[in-house]
Amino acid sequence: MKEIFTDLYRKLAGFFQAPPEKENLKEVACNRLKLVLMQDRTNLTPFLLERMRGEMIDVLSKYVEMDKEALELSFEQEGEQMALMLSIPVLRAKDEAELQALIKAEEEAKVKAEKEKTAGKTGTGKKSKKSSEEAAKGPKKKKSRKKKQ
Amino acid sequence: MTGRVIVITSGKGGVGKTTTSANIGTALAKAGQKVVLIDTDIGLRNLDLLLGLENRIVYTIIDVVEERCKLKQALVKDKKNPNLCLLAAAQTRDKSSINQEQLKSICDELKEENDFIIVDCPAGIEQGFQNAVAGATEAIVVTTPEMSAVRDADRIIGLLEAKEEIESYKLLLNRVRPKLVQSNDMMSVDDVVDILSCSLIGIIPEDVGVITSTNKGEPIVNDEKSLAGQAYQNVAKRIMGEEVDFLDIDEPKGFVAKIKKFFAGLFGKEQKA
Repeated sequence: MKEIFTDLYRKLAGFFQAPPEKENLKEVACNRLKLVLMQDRTNLTPFLLERMRGEMIDVLSKYVEMDKEALELSFEQEGEQMALMLSIPVLRAKDEAELQALIKAEEEAKVKAEKEKTAGKTGTGKKSKKSSEEAAKGPKKKKSRKKKQ
Repeated sequence: MTGRVIVITSGKGGVGKTTTSANIGTALAKAGQKVVLIDTDIGLRNLDLLLGLENRIVYTIIDVVEERCKLKQALVKDKKNPNLCLLAAAQTRDKSSINQEQLKSICDELKEENDFIIVDCPAGIEQGFQNAVAGATEAIVVTTPEMSAVRDADRIIGLLEAKEEIESYKLLLNRVRPKLVQSNDMMSVDDVVDILSCSLIGIIPEDVGVITSTNKGEPIVNDEKSLAGQAYQNVAKRIMGEEVDFLDIDEPKGFVAKIKKFFAGLFGKEQKA
């Protein structure tokens, strides 16, 4: 008997309460699909994406002071083209003296590396720096969809 | 004459490649075109069942390739439409029994005496797919508004783009359920088109008639009243170059909308619910 009443009460209470907010499953599906297709199309696993992000931060932070945590990396489809979107919150622009010092230091390092190279030693440090420079040629890098297979 | 060779493919299984092939083929034949349907799903043939021709098959595509019969002998005429023929797959063999050159030469030979060659591709992206695509210059990618089917379609589109022989490909969205789309529980047509960035050739609503028509061995385009049948008919028209508006498959929301739609239909006005 008690069960009947509790059941009735629940039903009544449910009737007067606002229905629970429904999840938009269509949005969920679209977003998950976009993410997985981005990985499929570029052959970039989450691990590689994180690596790319890290390398970009290394290069870009030489020129501007930025919020490293908030750097966002994403792919967007614009018709036939796929674009790599990079959103960087800039905290502070570096002043001229700092930038000059940076260029100077780089030049010196270059000259030093060159000397070492002619001396027959190969510097491993230079190699890794070069690859990170290539990764950050521009914040917006267009990639043709045709490239994928 | 030189016919067009269109491959019907999808990547994922069970999205309606064979149903689409049977219906497009039948609709084109009904419109007076000479059509040959080729089933390339060797080992798992089903196109014969959908057309109700399973008891009439004497020779298969493998018999043609292995020269046990002439190509013309292996073509099975449709029960209703003399314009439509089927080249069946062998059931007791596998995909490696035929290669790309052989399929291409069969398509080339059929092209000369037919308007359309519709190639039903097996699921997957392996040899069966490569074979089916070999002779084709156009493709229709079938998908449903489900994540797995869309993902596989994206992969297929990538593979088709890499093929030089494929001049154009279009998307056919199958088994759309307007009610689920309206309640935001399913991806809409626009979502899928947007994600795949591929132009549409048809939208087919989910229809129980497809199951019953398979049981009868008669493609649903023969049922004039069915919405899916009309949608397939429109696909065939678009293939032939006609401009046809996409069917309004949305279900009217309320009673008033239903009445409005009824009257709009009565006076021949197209109205979106």
